[in-house]
Amino acid sequence: MQGSTRRMSVMTDVHRRFLQLLMTHGVLEEWDVKRLQRHCYKVHDRNATVDKLEDFINNINSVLESLYIEIKRGVTEDDGRPIYALVNLATTSISKMATDFAENELDLFRKALELIIDSETGFGSSTNILNLVDQLKGKKMRKKEAEQVLQKFVQNKWLIEKEGEFTLHGRAILEMEQYIRETYPDAVKICNICHSLLIQGQSCETCGIRMHLPCVAKYFQSNAEPRCPHCNDYWPHEIPKVFDPEKERESGVSKSNKKSLRSRQH
Amino acid sequence: MPRGQKSKLRAREKRHQARCENQDLGATQATVAERESPSSAYLLFGDRPQNLPAAETPSIPEALQGAPSTTDATAPVSCTSSNEGASSQDEKSLGSSREAEGRKEDPLSKKVVSLVHFLLQKYEKKEPITKGDMIKFVIRKDKCHFNEILKRASEYIELAFGVDLKEVDPIRHYYAFFSKLDLTYDETTSDEEKIPKTGLLMIALGVIFMNGNRAPEEAVWEIMNMMGVYADRKHFLYGDPRKVMTKDLVQLKYLEYQQVPNSDPPRYEFLWGPRAHAETSKMKVLEFVAKMHDTVPSAFPSCYEEALRDEEQRTQARAAARAHTAAMANARSRTTSSSFSHAK
Repeated sequence: MQGSTRRMSVMTDVHRRFLQLLMTHGVLEEWDVKRLQRHCYKVHDRNATVDKLEDFINNINSVLESLYIEIKRGVTEDDGRPIYALVNLATTSISKMATDFAENELDLFRKALELIIDSETGFGSSTNILNLVDQLKGKKMRKKEAEQVLQKFVQNKWLIEKEGEFTLHGRAILEMEQYIRETYPDAVKICNICHSLLIQGQSCETCGIRMHLPCVAKYFQSNAEPRCPHCNDYWPHEIPKVFDPEKERESGVSKSNKKSLRSRQH
Repeated sequence: MPRGQKSKLRAREKRHQARCENQDLGATQATVAERESPSSAYLLFGDRPQNLPAAETPSIPEALQGAPSTTDATAPVSCTSSNEGASSQDEKSLGSSREAEGRKEDPLSKKVVSLVHFLLQKYEKKEPITKGDMIKFVIRKDKCHFNEILKRASEYIELAFGVDLKEVDPIRHYYAFFSKLDLTYDETTSDEEKIPKTGLLMIALGVIFMNGNRAPEEAVWEIMNMMGVYADRKHFLYGDPRKVMTKDLVQLKYLEYQQVPNSDPPRYEFLWGPRAHAETSKMKVLEFVAKMHDTVPSAFPSCYEEALRDEEQRTQARAAARAHTAAMANARSRTTSSSFSHAK
């Protein structure tokens, strides 16, 4: 494919502005990333053809390589939205949180993380997490405080909360996957299809293999009789729909932009 | 044996071992990392050292290399007086042998990379950066190399992200980022997502300045109300104006919000924050205010005079800074061989 030929990596102001804006947002959905890219071209290089996003990002990544940083693409576990974030490759990346949080707060996160990884559903209940406050390193933390800290994690996009239960934000998975796999090699779950870290997903009731919801959606797309890829037993769960960015925009569901919907540009 | 002796002996043994084993910088890095007692503030899990892939550290491309390790060789050897001093000397000696090989990494590059990560995180969160924090979380025992590490990290960031790191407060050693891409604060958001706060901020700065550089909260809101912005009413653009004014902009160091001294019941006032002083000027704000009133800055004589004085001070400060930078650049150009060019 033409896209794979590596050109001389050159950083221009288009790329720099893109990086600045991506960094400011922390994590972005693919549609927003594309819009951002077009915006950067518009500002700095009106007449140039907009690079294919993948090439554009590979270009930037080859320059960032020596900084042990890259723009990484992932997919949200619950509904399969593609997301992008700037991640550190070198460190464990929990150190990214380390300068924002106190020792006991970091330990709280670690406890929540362990509960989430060990759980069957990929969620740790608020009650169970809060019950661990006595075991935290550092300054003593009361449950009330811990509740606030958990909310801080949510605001900073490390955790997601759903009905009193917590799981990892897509961004956290992007940043910490390597670290989690290294730290919890036995407890960690892996998707049978994409072989990446799995926090939430569906599992076969017979042989126990697991798949991400978006992976299930893709794998069983238009398959009337879904069967487990491993043991061939009937797949008992509801098959989710494949994420369709076009449909999202048309129905105005995209929560990232409430302003006027742009018409398709490609 | 007194404790000090034992550790020195161990350090000597390890150094010898490291030197014999291989010249691979990665191995020595690992040894050093293990001996560091990481503060759990920086590493979530105390026993895990930072993981830079040891074996295959790609050599930093020419374009991104800062001043090469020649400066390392001349760096003062008496870094710290702790046991760790032994290991940092080790790094230095390796550094000078590295410099002979030219393009390979030197012992400080690991810190440079870590500092880059740290700074980018601060940039992302728009948090102030202090020298103290940089040393505490990243530089640590290499703090006698702070300036060089910071310089190289800033160069990387400037090249890759187009962002300048400047010391905005030389007394408290506060640093902040300035985009070189001529972004006004609003442009960073433009028609993309985020709430443009500049309009609100400029108005506030104007009110504060015209009021004698401090304005009671009520005065600020009075003006805001005239533009349809109310403290406790949700605004389609600014969201929660009270929060933006009293929390967000304060946290970003654009404003200061404090209790009026001796006020009972407590009343509050706004002042310019250090970042406002750094990123804009009294004249610019006065121009903004004048434009809003469809007039010119000189229509406000006393404010205009004050703004002029402020401009003069800034010009003098800039000239001094330029002279200093020129001197530094001169020194640098003698040692640097980097020949990258900005492709436009």
